[in-house]
Amino acid sequence: MPLSPAQPGCEVTSMVVLDEPIKGVVEVKNYIDGEWAESSSEDYREAVNPATMKTLAKVPMGSAEDVRAAVDAARDAFPMWRRTTPLTRSRYFFRLKELLEQHFEAVSRVCTMEHGKTIDESRGEVRRGIENVEVAAGIPSLMMGYNLEDISTGIDEILIKQPLGVFACIAPFNFPFMVPLWFMPTAVATGNTYVVKPSPWTPLSMVKFMELVEEAGFPPGVINMVHGDVEPVQAILEHPDVKGVSFVGSTKIGRDVIYKEAASRGKRVQAQCGAKNFLVVMPDADVESTVPGLLSSFFGNTGQRCLAGANLVMVGDDKKFIDGVLNKIQKATQNIRIGYGMEEGVQMGPLQAVPRKQRVLGFIEKGVEEGAKLKLDGRKFDCGEYPRDCFLGPNIFHDVQPDMIIAKEEIFGPVMSVLHAKDLGEAIEMVNMSSYGNAASIFTGSGKVARRFQYEVECGNIGVNIGTAAPMAFFPFSGMKDSFFGDLHGQGRDAVDFFTENKVVIQRWP
Amino acid sequence: MIRTTSQLISLHTKLEEEAAEKLRALAQYHTGAAEVLNRLADENMQHRDTVTRVYREGVTDAFEVGYLSQPLNEDDYAINELKGPLREAVKAAILNEDDVIRFCLDASRDANQLIPGLPQTFQRLAKRKEKRKALLESLV
Repeated sequence: MPLSPAQPGCEVTSMVVLDEPIKGVVEVKNYIDGEWAESSSEDYREAVNPATMKTLAKVPMGSAEDVRAAVDAARDAFPMWRRTTPLTRSRYFFRLKELLEQHFEAVSRVCTMEHGKTIDESRGEVRRGIENVEVAAGIPSLMMGYNLEDISTGIDEILIKQPLGVFACIAPFNFPFMVPLWFMPTAVATGNTYVVKPSPWTPLSMVKFMELVEEAGFPPGVINMVHGDVEPVQAILEHPDVKGVSFVGSTKIGRDVIYKEAASRGKRVQAQCGAKNFLVVMPDADVESTVPGLLSSFFGNTGQRCLAGANLVMVGDDKKFIDGVLNKIQKATQNIRIGYGMEEGVQMGPLQAVPRKQRVLGFIEKGVEEGAKLKLDGRKFDCGEYPRDCFLGPNIFHDVQPDMIIAKEEIFGPVMSVLHAKDLGEAIEMVNMSSYGNAASIFTGSGKVARRFQYEVECGNIGVNIGTAAPMAFFPFSGMKDSFFGDLHGQGRDAVDFFTENKVVIQRWP
Repeated sequence: MIRTTSQLISLHTKLEEEAAEKLRALAQYHTGAAEVLNRLADENMQHRDTVTRVYREGVTDAFEVGYLSQPLNEDDYAINELKGPLREAVKAAILNEDDVIRFCLDASRDANQLIPGLPQTFQRLAKRKEKRKALLESLV
């Protein structure tokens, strides 16, 4: 049964409930050197479907020993893999792409079961992941260096891009399939070998992915997976054979642990961290196309993404326009259907786990204490037959001030805070006051306004009449300030540079 | 009500599959028209696969969460049984085509903001189905 919003007037719809691909409880194993292996850890945690609260898997918390085995396998596989021609390496990715297409629906459903997002969102996530595989399949072109004849008489100079060795990814819970694929395909296609550590909260999408890696026939040791929590992360950061680490998660962990510890050991690091994204609506914005973009940004993935809208800034003093937009948002938000993502008519799933819901509830209480007006209270949404544990409806705060906690800190849930700015300059100032710099969007009909916004705003991903400015696989996922630590971002040419070393050859043949 | 892209695609799949099933059943009773009817049924399956492929290739995590601007009512589209003499059955088959055409046009309008290529695909299918009506009429 769908969860019915408490608001009147919402009709009950017939729902198609999709078949669940996971039956029973999965005993999660590591994938090391081409074999499925038990963790040496005796500490296990349950991964739970947040919509039904049923246990999906028993996940090992991992150990340094597991990481050593995976890194050793990757290190040993590296000399052979880097000698495998780029064209041959790309063909592995063509095979993998084909398998991912064949298993597209199953992977998407696993993602929904373990994360709680809607099936449309999961399919979108899987597509985004596959796009990274597609880009990696073009590595013979992407990895080319460059050269110049006659830098001096009879002397030529050549730049060659070479792989470095073993790389690792420490992945978050919110995009369990897509995020590891921001990094792994490019790393491996450029000739490196790899270790993935999925989030212990959502390990199953990567388990399914590794089954397809195995089926695609990647040589043993080229791609490995270790499950777990703190101990494996520390082991990855400390292992001398790990040349670089990609991380996606909170700013606190990304900055104070991953970046600091990996960089201090001479490793390459790209740490994509937290966010507080502003969406600015100008008085000349096209309301009809703006509202769906806003809803998607604030409430898509139940607000659990680093590109999610957090603060909505209404610009100007045209009360009629502002009230019109806010009323439309309020009405549309009340009609969002909440429930289990495996029901096709559901538009918003639960938060991924109980502690995440508790955290968001804490922010809602804080916002009320701070004096913001809670115009839509997601705590009042009826949960129908589902356990209440992780469900929370969308929330809208009005009259939020820039210095309030709810306007400054990352909430990572379905909460919209509405602020007001007298003009574009003040709106840009608000955006730039934030310690974060992941994404910002503007909705306007003016090219001049849009240009000023993209020019002055200190954020890595800018949307113009786009609610969620998510870069495609062939562009870097940028990020600034407290949203990113490192030099080269994930995806695009940045990724090729991150996973390769530039070697310069100067030659003369007398 | 149909509110999400996933629902939209599922309903399209259902309509095409049911239409194909009815055409194949009819072909068993009217062997003279069987070749055309089975060919049309095969085409229904191709249409189903085309839409599914465009959806899967176009869906991204950034699309507007499958919120249709105007929800559709699934009860507005139905595939009816094809019974009786060939003339009667073909008439019913043409009405089925009309229903699927209407669905394609409605889906095209409401999917406009969702997936690149999906509205155009639905429009193209609607045009093809108009031609199928002429083919069905030629059977009687």
